[in-house]
Amino acid sequence: MALLEVENLSIDLGEFHLRDINLTVEKGDYLTVIGPTGAGKSILLEAIAGFYPLRSGRITLNSRDVTNLPPEKRGISIVYQDFVLFPHLSVFDNIAFGLRKVERDKEKVKGEVEHIAEELHISHLLHRKPGTLSGGEQQRVAIARALVVRPKVLLMDEPFSALDEKTREKLRKLVKSVIAEYNTTVIHVTHDFEDVFALATRVAVMKDGRLVQVGTPDEVFSRPKVDFVAGFVGTNVLKGEVIGKDGSLTLISVGGVVLKTADEAERKAVLSLRPENVLLARDPGLCSAQNVIKIRVERIERRGHVLWVHLDGKIKLKAVITPNAAEILGVKEGEELYAMFKASALKVIA
Amino acid sequence: MEGLRFRNLSVLFALIFTLFLFTAVATLFFVPRPSEILKALKSEEMIYSLKLSLITASLSTLLVILIGIPIGYALSRFSFPGKSAVKSILDLPMAFPELVLGLALLLLFGNTAFGKLLSDFGIKVVFTKLGIVVAQFFTAFPYAVRVIHTTFEEISPRYELVARSLGYTEFETFRKVTLPMAKGGLLASTIITFARSMGAFGAVLILAGGSYMNTEILPVTLYLNISYGNIGMAITSGIVLVVVSFLAILLFEKLEDEEHGAVRG
Ligand SMILES: Nc1ncnc2c1ncn2[C@@H]1O[C@H](COP(=O)(O)OP(=O)(O)O)[C@@H](O)[C@H]1O
Ligand SMILES: [Mg+2]
Repeated sequence: MALLEVENLSIDLGEFHLRDINLTVEKGDYLTVIGPTGAGKSILLEAIAGFYPLRSGRITLNSRDVTNLPPEKRGISIVYQDFVLFPHLSVFDNIAFGLRKVERDKEKVKGEVEHIAEELHISHLLHRKPGTLSGGEQQRVAIARALVVRPKVLLMDEPFSALDEKTREKLRKLVKSVIAEYNTTVIHVTHDFEDVFALATRVAVMKDGRLVQVGTPDEVFSRPKVDFVAGFVGTNVLKGEVIGKDGSLTLISVGGVVLKTADEAERKAVLSLRPENVLLARDPGLCSAQNVIKIRVERIERRGHVLWVHLDGKIKLKAVITPNAAEILGVKEGEELYAMFKASALKVIA
Repeated sequence: MEGLRFRNLSVLFALIFTLFLFTAVATLFFVPRPSEILKALKSEEMIYSLKLSLITASLSTLLVILIGIPIGYALSRFSFPGKSAVKSILDLPMAFPELVLGLALLLLFGNTAFGKLLSDFGIKVVFTKLGIVVAQFFTAFPYAVRVIHTTFEEISPRYELVARSLGYTEFETFRKVTLPMAKGGLLASTIITFARSMGAFGAVLILAGGSYMNTEILPVTLYLNISYGNIGMAITSGIVLVVVSFLAILLFEKLEDEEHGAVRG
């Protein structure tokens, strides 16, 4: 039996609707939810927390129907992008806030608060007021406040968005270890795919108030089910025809180029290739990659801390590289390069 | 160059205007002779009027805040049918001249079935001390509700959602999170309400009648004594009004400082 089950959930907010959401979360899952702004990710989280009345559908938690339970009876904690620490309470009192509702023993409360503060490296901040802390510190306090009550599910709505890249990196590691210690089930909304790769066991993609795909990160990123997901997660999608076999590999002709894949396919095939798996080189040389294509750099686009290189030739591809690598290689728009990728990175998705 | 000239001009403007204002206030304090003020301060009438002013203004402030909090909160957090109408009607008295507000109240409590019913139960509003409180209440209420409403608007509902998710009911959340976070704004609206209640005149005069040593509050004392040509008494009641309001504001700033000090830890 799944820990959390959302069945046919619909919400009507006048201008906006969540429609027929079906979602199952197992105990210990780390589910990330991605999708464009305005897709309804925050609303879905807050609906699970019990902040919106449903138009229809059912939410069960530990096999218990919680659809009509108020938020305070659900045992679901939430962490927001902007921390929302109570400004009139000290860090200690913020963390102890939920605990005090269920635990009368002051020593026990103190022990629990101190323990989680240690886990999240905020022991030295317990006497301070939240207004005096940095963003990263505030978010660690917010996570402590949410986790210390040992929620059945922890919801996080873009928890790292307000932080700089370095702090984000650190916090991911901390969250990972503390989640493991508290054995918490997490639903985490993010627009940063790093969160997905670093933390998620499963990913859900939302668009226009609907869930369009749910699966493991590998399934979603390498085998996107619909064009929207492919476009959103940046996966290269290629269409071609099977022309034969080369040992265990399948040969597929795409736009006049013959590509090799480790997957099986017959006649027409739709292929996907993660842009992270495309390597760029000045000369083809000797390499283990089965696919080497001469291709032109059409456009270079900065996204966060990486560069997306749009390539064009007989086929179109996108590659992701670091600014550092781009400099070493001297990648410039309009130049010819070689794109390489392994046969195992090229997946047949249809 | 151009910018500099504008800057100098605007600073000059601010200085001249402030000086003018200051002179006006100073005149109030320096025109009468000190002995005259002292005598007026000790008069039975002045003491009566000050006492009555403080009591009625405190009462109406208390009522305004107690009733204003749930109304301001409901307007900021919940949607209900007729909400925008409620908002407009609450703002209405602000557009009314005080005298007209007083007249409306006089008609309501004097000439309607509602007024008769109240008076049958022994609740007499017209030309009584209770009338002072009622008039002050309606004069100050719309302003207070505005400030309280804005205060709650500025608190993100997410604070409440977090508290709810941590096991607190709606009311517990209001008490433990919303109210403490609204403290500054509620304090401000208390002071504004008190100052407005102290100074309320037109509505009080019409509804409670400005009768000597009966429904006589400080603004009424000022008015009555001006009419009798009793300048010393009139000025003194003006000074007392200003001083009381000033003390209220000082108190407010002190409390607010403490508040901020606490937040800064
Ligand atoms: N309380 C509300 N009432 C009506 N519409 C809302 C409400 N909250 C958000 N919306 C709208 O619902 C849509 C989805 O919002 P949201 O879930 O915040 O998107 P996101 O996926 O970016 O988190 C947006 O178009 C937003 O304007
Ligand atoms: Mg959102």
